[in-house]
Amino acid sequence: MAEMAKEKAYRIHLMVCAGTGCVSNNAFGIKAALEREVKKQGLENEVLIVTTGCNGFCERGPLLVVQPGSIFYQQLTEKDIPHLVEEHFLKGRPVKKLMYTPPKEKTPVPVLSDIDFFKKQVLIALRNRGLIDPEKIDEYIARDGYKAVAKALTEMAPEQVITEIANSGLRGRGGAGFPTGLKWQMVRNAPASNGSLKYLICNGDEGDPGAFMDRSILEADPHSVIEGMVIGARAVGASEGFVYVRNEYPLAIKRMNIAIEQARDYGLLGNNILGTGFDFDIKIVRGAGAFVCGEETALIASVEGRLGEPRTRPPYPAQSGLWEKPTLINNVETWANVPIIIDRGAKWYASIGTLTSKGTKVFSLVGKINNTGLVEVPMGIALREIIYDIGGGIPGGKEFKAVQTGGPSGGCIPKEQLDLPIDYESLTAAGSMMGSGGMVVMDEDTCMVDVARYFLTFTKDESCGKCTPCREGTKAMLDIITRITEGKGTEEDLTLLEDMAHAVKDSSLCGLGKTAPNPVLTTLRYFRNEYEAHIRDRKCPAHVCRQLNVYTIDENRCLTVGKGCDLCRRNCASDAIRGAKNEAHRIVQEKCIKCGVCYDVCNFGAVKVD
Amino acid sequence: MVNLTIDGKKVQIEEGKTILQAAAKCEIKIPTLCYHPVVEAYGACRVCMVEVTVRGKTDLVTACNTKVQEGLDVQTGSERVLKARRLNVEMLMARAPAAEPVQELAKALGIEKTRFEIKDPQEKCILCGLCVRACETIVGASAISFIERGTERKVMPPFGEPSEACIGCTACAYFCPTGAITYEDKYGRKVIHTELHLGPTTAIRVPIRQAVPMVPLIDTEACIHFKTGECKVCTKVCDREAINHDMQDETLEVEVGTIILASGFKPFDAKRIPAYGYGHFPNVITALEFERLVNASGPTGGKIKLADGTEPKAVGIIHCVGSRDENYNEYCSRVCCMYSLKFAHLIKEKTSADVYDFYIDMRCFGKGYEEFYHRLLHEGTKFIRGRVSDITDMAMTQREEGKLIIRVEDTLLGTVRRIPVDMVILATGLEPSIDHNQLAKIFNISCSQDTFFLERHPKLAPVSTFSDGIYLAGACQAPRDIPDTVAQAGGAAAEALALADKGTFALEPVTAEIDEDLCAGCQLCVNLCPFTAITYDKEKGISVVNDALCKGCGTCVAACPSGASHQKHFRDSQIFAEIEGIFVV
Repeated sequence: MAEMAKEKAYRIHLMVCAGTGCVSNNAFGIKAALEREVKKQGLENEVLIVTTGCNGFCERGPLLVVQPGSIFYQQLTEKDIPHLVEEHFLKGRPVKKLMYTPPKEKTPVPVLSDIDFFKKQVLIALRNRGLIDPEKIDEYIARDGYKAVAKALTEMAPEQVITEIANSGLRGRGGAGFPTGLKWQMVRNAPASNGSLKYLICNGDEGDPGAFMDRSILEADPHSVIEGMVIGARAVGASEGFVYVRNEYPLAIKRMNIAIEQARDYGLLGNNILGTGFDFDIKIVRGAGAFVCGEETALIASVEGRLGEPRTRPPYPAQSGLWEKPTLINNVETWANVPIIIDRGAKWYASIGTLTSKGTKVFSLVGKINNTGLVEVPMGIALREIIYDIGGGIPGGKEFKAVQTGGPSGGCIPKEQLDLPIDYESLTAAGSMMGSGGMVVMDEDTCMVDVARYFLTFTKDESCGKCTPCREGTKAMLDIITRITEGKGTEEDLTLLEDMAHAVKDSSLCGLGKTAPNPVLTTLRYFRNEYEAHIRDRKCPAHVCRQLNVYTIDENRCLTVGKGCDLCRRNCASDAIRGAKNEAHRIVQEKCIKCGVCYDVCNFGAVKVD
Repeated sequence: MVNLTIDGKKVQIEEGKTILQAAAKCEIKIPTLCYHPVVEAYGACRVCMVEVTVRGKTDLVTACNTKVQEGLDVQTGSERVLKARRLNVEMLMARAPAAEPVQELAKALGIEKTRFEIKDPQEKCILCGLCVRACETIVGASAISFIERGTERKVMPPFGEPSEACIGCTACAYFCPTGAITYEDKYGRKVIHTELHLGPTTAIRVPIRQAVPMVPLIDTEACIHFKTGECKVCTKVCDREAINHDMQDETLEVEVGTIILASGFKPFDAKRIPAYGYGHFPNVITALEFERLVNASGPTGGKIKLADGTEPKAVGIIHCVGSRDENYNEYCSRVCCMYSLKFAHLIKEKTSADVYDFYIDMRCFGKGYEEFYHRLLHEGTKFIRGRVSDITDMAMTQREEGKLIIRVEDTLLGTVRRIPVDMVILATGLEPSIDHNQLAKIFNISCSQDTFFLERHPKLAPVSTFSDGIYLAGACQAPRDIPDTVAQAGGAAAEALALADKGTFALEPVTAEIDEDLCAGCQLCVNLCPFTAITYDKEKGISVVNDALCKGCGTCVAACPSGASHQKHFRDSQIFAEIEGIFVV
């Protein structure tokens, strides 16, 4: 702390987003350019450049937030920097053209909190995003970090901590939504066989396509996870913890390692934490990238060094987990919620959300949506608010069709249910699930049969292969759906598909197999007409399933508007287009391989697809 | 105890048991594929799924690894259960079309054909993981595991190459329910009858059916536990907890008054007569092997079969193999004639084969034996008098093709004959047991010229030896059959009891003694004493005679260079006095 006091005060703080999205958009190049320019202008004693974790508005990266004042700059390039530094930081004139302008509007919104994307968000798990440098523990502490640990270790009995968590109504953010307090109580009560050894695990094996909540938290605020784990360890009486992160998250692993080192240096991890005599330490275990290892028993097997495959529960990890010891396993986001609950009290936390689902949930909003990014919203918020208010609606003026929540094993929710409040129960009732918080938005150009095929391909590839229904069932369902998308499906296929989806859901061993049929079941439930169109009419209404498309050329338009430009013929890979320059063109259907290139290259809209 | 209901039947079972065990208790069959009682349940095949209702909640669970709970209501054949089970079996049919248990299960569930794509019609593996689990948890070798994910999953040793971790126990093949794992035996164990291999047996077995005591033993050479320290499956299935892997061999010292030696015999090794081709021709077998073959508890269940599994059409029995032969043993083994006649009778009774009996003399000396011989003459056994010179498979005529040809001088006809047969039984003689010579040394017993133990007197003391308190019974003294052995053993037992009952025995009055003052400690007498009665006292530096063992033979007296050894009541001075007395008269 003494070090902090010595630190200089700066006039301006530049918060450069260094989340994975912005980094891949050259955030570090921007940072170097800023440093260069600041030095050039002689401002190095007035302007401090800070790299922060993910800001969330990934769509607009690379991002820069200027404090004080929260001026939000977006889509920066290195070329913009000299001008920006001179204008804003030297002359005090914010640069309007680098600010965010909402679609359909003309005037930019300078301040972050005024932007729609941020306005409706409630930040609890992501409370420090964009505000601190994740590699500096002092900055976390300055934002009331590790205050909750001090409180839990010195002022509260373990039982009180558990009661507080239970009263807050916090439920597992990994997907199933098991009440966290109850789980902690189970681990605390578990009779420890030989010795009193218990373990703690942070599940950071985020595997859903398009989901990056856990990665963002580990990258932007690793200390919040560590703090949550120390509190959890104290509450259940564990002495060793593991953070299981997939190896594809190098930045998260790096930042977590730094954070653990710093916490140890500050006496917040290791032996005799805060002088209370309580010992707890954390190790990082890197996962090899198997989706099934997100399932807790498979994850535990993986940590133990065995084949990552799930086993039957009970016994639950709370009774017999890692090395057959009682083990408390929670998701990254759940852990990040813990310190703030202890700090601000269960009552405050429980005041946010719905009757059964309390607090907030982080979603990664991706797909056909204007504002791609990471959002944290209170439970109970309507889907419509997330998609239209925060997400800014569908790009290109297209119509919304469905949103897929809960990752590959979640379901598709149609536009009729846009007003569905987001909580565990209503999502399950709609045939989907909360999952870890993936949210894939689809527009009218999406074929729902193809969507089901896509997610089944994923679950089929990721099925560990242990139990028959998941291993054979996902493959068999995929075969049927593929047949349907190729126009070879029959009515019997549809019945069989439905029967199988129910049987696989009913008889699979772990969560992966039990939820893998969800995309099939929900698309069948809400978009059965699309399946029927594929089977009866041999048509894909969204023209996604290419094998069903028929390409034709409007000869009149080709000749009159396009003047027989011949572009399509020259690009046709299978020599299926007849005609010459200045002549009307025509497609020989027998030779057409339905690649769609002619449709894409025609500048005059003469190629039609049906 | 926990109470639950299965298909309406009330069951009570100990806590911690599974639904599958509870169902078995009330004789409700739940199908399984990946389950084996001695391997930890895995719950992978999902065929044993049952519908359970507890506290108003209904769910499908696997019966193999779901523990019973108070008040559980289990449905093993509800519509929901059958739907899931049928589909899982149907999918397994597509995965492993050649797996018989799956086919049977499908039949029972009324599935005729699978609707799913068959990748490999020869595939047998259903990925139940029994082999992997057995190798890991029972054998402790972990030589195989699953590789790949999902439908690509398969069982493999590391990198798909022969693994050094594999100890070749074949437990994986044993546990495989579909026969997907096979193995070949490269080291060619001797296989006598292929239908059931007389090769390796299990590590735990009763040595023979007639074993005394009739208890199983663990062969530590073959037992997996003694190789890897794991397994112990036997202890899991033994309710009486009678198996102890920590027992060690121990040497017991027992003090006894009398000893009866009944160390038996060993059969003559037929390989010592190469001309008979034993060990070379698979259908040339010894009498003891035939005895095993014809036994109802034997490998073929008592059926007489050739190595290729067919029934012989002609069998030759050769007497006096290793007996009455100057090259091997000159003595008659006494029992071979009669057991050969028994074999001839059994072959006639069980098969329609021709039986040729090659004898030198037919020695039917016991009660009812001659009558048995006459019965066989009437049954049609062909008796040929003469010693067999050799057995060959070199055919000279069409009739001999594919047969074993016995060449023999028929002394009654005065010609050399070639008899083609399918099977030859060698009536091997009896020889002293393997450790006969060591036993003779330990017990200080003499052997007769035929190397069997020598009795004290062939007529007056046929069960005694020259060592008091040591008696002989059975074939260790001379070849003899069962009635003779029983009779002799009764005599030996009576002698031993008579001595034990008396508690004392009379010593020979004339024994040797060594004069301490004269003995120089040269130990010449110690080595010469035929009764090991003299020992050397290191402290005093002299030799000492044990009165109880000394027979008064006088060897030591004659040999002692310093004249220290005397014969009691037979001293030189006494003899000289006697001589003097004669002269006085």
